[in-house]
Amino acid sequence: MIRIEPAPWESRWPDRLAMLALLLGAIAMVGPFVWMLSTSLKLPEDQYTRGLIPPTLTFENYTRIFELMSFQTLLWNSIKIALISTFGQLLTCSMAAFVFAVVKFKGRHVLFVLLLVTLMVPQQITAIPQFIIFKGLGLYGTQAPLYLPSFLGGAFGVFLMRQYFLTIPIELAEAARMDGASLMTIYWKIYLPLAKPALAAFAIFAFLFSWNDLFNALIYLPSDLEQTTLPVGLALFQVQFAGKWTIMMAAVMVSVSPIMIAFFLAQKHFIEGMALSGLK
Amino acid sequence: MLRNPGLALSAIAAGLLFNAISAQAETEITYQLWGSPQEGEVWQKVAKEFEAQHPDIKVKVEVNDWDSYWEKIRVLMAGGTPPDVFAMDAPLYPDWQSRGVLLNLQPYIDAEPGLLDDIYPITLEAYKTKEGYFGLPRDFQTIVLYYNKDMFDAAGVAYPNDSWTYDDFRKAAKALTKDTNGDGTIDQWGFWAEVVDPEPYWGAVVWSFGGDIVDVAKGKTLIGSDQAMQAWHFIHDMWLEDKSMPTQEQLQQYGTDGFQAGIAAMGVSGHWSVPDYAPAKFKWAVAPMPKGPAGRVTSVNSAGFVIAKASKHPKEAWEFVKFAFGPVGQAEAAKIGLAVPIRKSVAESPAYLQQSSAPIDHKLYIDALQYAHLKPVFRGYEEWSAAVGDALNNAWTGALGLDDAIAEAVQNGDDALAKNRQ
Amino acid sequence: MKFGLRPLGGERLWVLVLLGPTLAGLVLGAFGSIFATLGLSFFRWDLLTTPEWAGLDNYLGLGNDRMFLRSLSNTFIFSLLYVPLTIVCALSVALLLNRRIQGVSLFRTLYFLPVISSPTAVGLLWTWIFAQDQGLLNGLLGSLGIPPVRWLGPNMALYSVVIVNVWGAIGEGMIVFLAGLQAIPREQYEAAHLDGANALQRLLYVTLPAMAPSLFFQSVLSTIHAFQAFDYIYILTRVGNGNSSVPTLVFSIYRNGFRFFRMGDATAQAIVLTAIIFLFTLVYFRIQKRWEVPV
Repeated sequence: MIRIEPAPWESRWPDRLAMLALLLGAIAMVGPFVWMLSTSLKLPEDQYTRGLIPPTLTFENYTRIFELMSFQTLLWNSIKIALISTFGQLLTCSMAAFVFAVVKFKGRHVLFVLLLVTLMVPQQITAIPQFIIFKGLGLYGTQAPLYLPSFLGGAFGVFLMRQYFLTIPIELAEAARMDGASLMTIYWKIYLPLAKPALAAFAIFAFLFSWNDLFNALIYLPSDLEQTTLPVGLALFQVQFAGKWTIMMAAVMVSVSPIMIAFFLAQKHFIEGMALSGLK
Repeated sequence: MLRNPGLALSAIAAGLLFNAISAQAETEITYQLWGSPQEGEVWQKVAKEFEAQHPDIKVKVEVNDWDSYWEKIRVLMAGGTPPDVFAMDAPLYPDWQSRGVLLNLQPYIDAEPGLLDDIYPITLEAYKTKEGYFGLPRDFQTIVLYYNKDMFDAAGVAYPNDSWTYDDFRKAAKALTKDTNGDGTIDQWGFWAEVVDPEPYWGAVVWSFGGDIVDVAKGKTLIGSDQAMQAWHFIHDMWLEDKSMPTQEQLQQYGTDGFQAGIAAMGVSGHWSVPDYAPAKFKWAVAPMPKGPAGRVTSVNSAGFVIAKASKHPKEAWEFVKFAFGPVGQAEAAKIGLAVPIRKSVAESPAYLQQSSAPIDHKLYIDALQYAHLKPVFRGYEEWSAAVGDALNNAWTGALGLDDAIAEAVQNGDDALAKNRQ
Repeated sequence: MKFGLRPLGGERLWVLVLLGPTLAGLVLGAFGSIFATLGLSFFRWDLLTTPEWAGLDNYLGLGNDRMFLRSLSNTFIFSLLYVPLTIVCALSVALLLNRRIQGVSLFRTLYFLPVISSPTAVGLLWTWIFAQDQGLLNGLLGSLGIPPVRWLGPNMALYSVVIVNVWGAIGEGMIVFLAGLQAIPREQYEAAHLDGANALQRLLYVTLPAMAPSLFFQSVLSTIHAFQAFDYIYILTRVGNGNSSVPTLVFSIYRNGFRFFRMGDATAQAIVLTAIIFLFTLVYFRIQKRWEVPV
């Protein structure tokens, strides 16, 4: 963490208030998870006790779900697909966003709006035409329909990156142009490196989107516990474990932890350490 | 072998050829069903036994939860890659059958005389159409009354028996509703039920009071008749006045089954709950549904097998269905303990009657057939049930008065029936 | 956008390369989503048999569809509460986190946690929090002497559901706003300070205009989320056989398409949904144009 001296226009006092407000908010944000963790460590008989500390600490809920569910396979399938999807998205969305933000061409406004509109249609409706396409390509039953579309850009990613690219002064690109740089160079050497915070943020969303995707995994993958992903497996078990909060919370904790780790790592690498001074 | 390379080569060639032939002759079919992972495992076992008897057919079993299952089946059907065999819920069967996506099994059945002899007739009814059977039942459910013996003992109330009327039932429920730990809130109720779908509870009550549920041919929802209204008032009074049942919000925190959670002394359900209740820490047993003014009535429903018309391997699919429908398959499935076999010889055998995991009166579920009415089976069932259920719900949350809610249910139900007229 | 670079001669090829995948996705996505949906909405289709031409019937029938109207009203009320709340809260958190405070990365993780949890899993947790007798919230209220609230009862359910969705979305906006805040050069604040601006004025005249692109982005996204809200709401308000006591537009679409064999109705409703979101987006475009400050 870089400590910067307060600028002459900032006083210390609001910082403390901010800290307090943030703390209160954080408790509201995290409270449910703390309770979830605590419940997952309780014995089933104790599941309704109000205290945060389990009367008897136990890990049996966790061992049970790994026994019951071949969690590792589900986890691995989910991680694999999510990683590939994230890469595909980062690449293609930033490329398209660069064009939308920086390059003047006829109809770029209309095209962008059209792209946005694709975000507005609920997923379940588009599922069937998409299914027919993938079936025609012979990809039904494989994992490909789950990550291939991420190599075709995506409205959310293009939108997010474009907004970020727009905050980069165009003078940079113009100056590089005068030095003879091509568009590709400007994209690769100037805009991408500057966009690290947005890329990091987007990476997390892209990962998350793929991770939580239940519908596509359900439709395209065989529904057995070796080949499907975590959300489908969880759905199968949720019905069974209704009312058994200790084991359900353990399952939820396990399914949430990879992303938590990914998030923590991502922000340590990219977001943290960016000086408040922004661009130079 | 090494001494005679020619012989060795021929042996290898023969081996390869043999492999090639058997690999080519092997067809793979899929069987999809809804249920719990355990159910999936049992059906894997049935599939394995089938494969042992039919080495050229492989069966892939897939299980999903109810919602996901129907999403998947629909998308696969719409996309032209349906599973070969899949599970069907009887009330939903006409929606699929009337749209021509199921294989007509009648020719296959006709080729096996006596196939249907050993089956309980009422379970076959839902699948009969003018052109024949497009599906066959897999197992059936009748609704019975479950009771928690420990709670009855503690409260000094006599166990339910087959002379019970709904009044006895109501009195007992009241006596069993209490605040056991003295903290001011009720934490034990006499009875719990899901009162949206007709199957577990309200269907039986309406029938027992002399009312009926629906007349599809006339496009009429009948739950607003005088007798039915008496049934509704009974349910309403017991729930919202006696308060001997938890509200939906109160129930939610304990899960979806009040009896299993140990907060309700009685519950109504089919045999599907038995494996859930079996590991319970309290002693429990089953009794027939109480008698209403028009006698004792309960609900019977079934899950069945259907084969997709677009299946590429109808013959193999039929072989599997025949096997699962036959004595061996039924006996194996009976071991799950989730449902009652539709085959008399199996249902009345120890395979079903003596399930070591749950030493209760399993025969009761079979006897219940004598006074059971079939759960309504018609095209547009889900739409009708959703329309009626939404309106009913208003009565239970207190958003509408009972009479208004029922009137709305009847109207919405009739609209749904009209929309689905063929 | 008035500014930008013109592609030189041979660069047009590179533009195609950069834009290509997204264009392909757009074509396929456009085919898959908008046009197919629009097309289907003029038919009656049950997914299993051939579609039947229905003209405008599906749209005209919406006026009589009680469930649709109820879903529409629920979704509007929900969105009118959800969007402003999410943006204001997310922006406030981002502004607070943009200061030099100990443990910023820890805070960021904590605020982002709700976003990364899957609604199906955490939704169940919230049913427990809102539960009438054993629930956490009523327990807290009880210890303060306040009588229990029927959080998921007919009166409160819609508002409880707003709370849960806002809770789950603040972190997302926070990340986007933080990225935007960090791109604002210090010089701008210096200049403003030298011009005599106080904290509020700096906020209004430096921060917010510079945040216009992110604000626009988050507003559009929030609106889309709001009108497409489904997961949390369904889990919290699920009643009996797959019904919901607070039906939303997507719930109505889902039911029609995946339970009732009415793809025509479902797609018509989806088009209505898309049109509504689109109209809101146009409004945001307008607002953004007025706020835009050349960097």
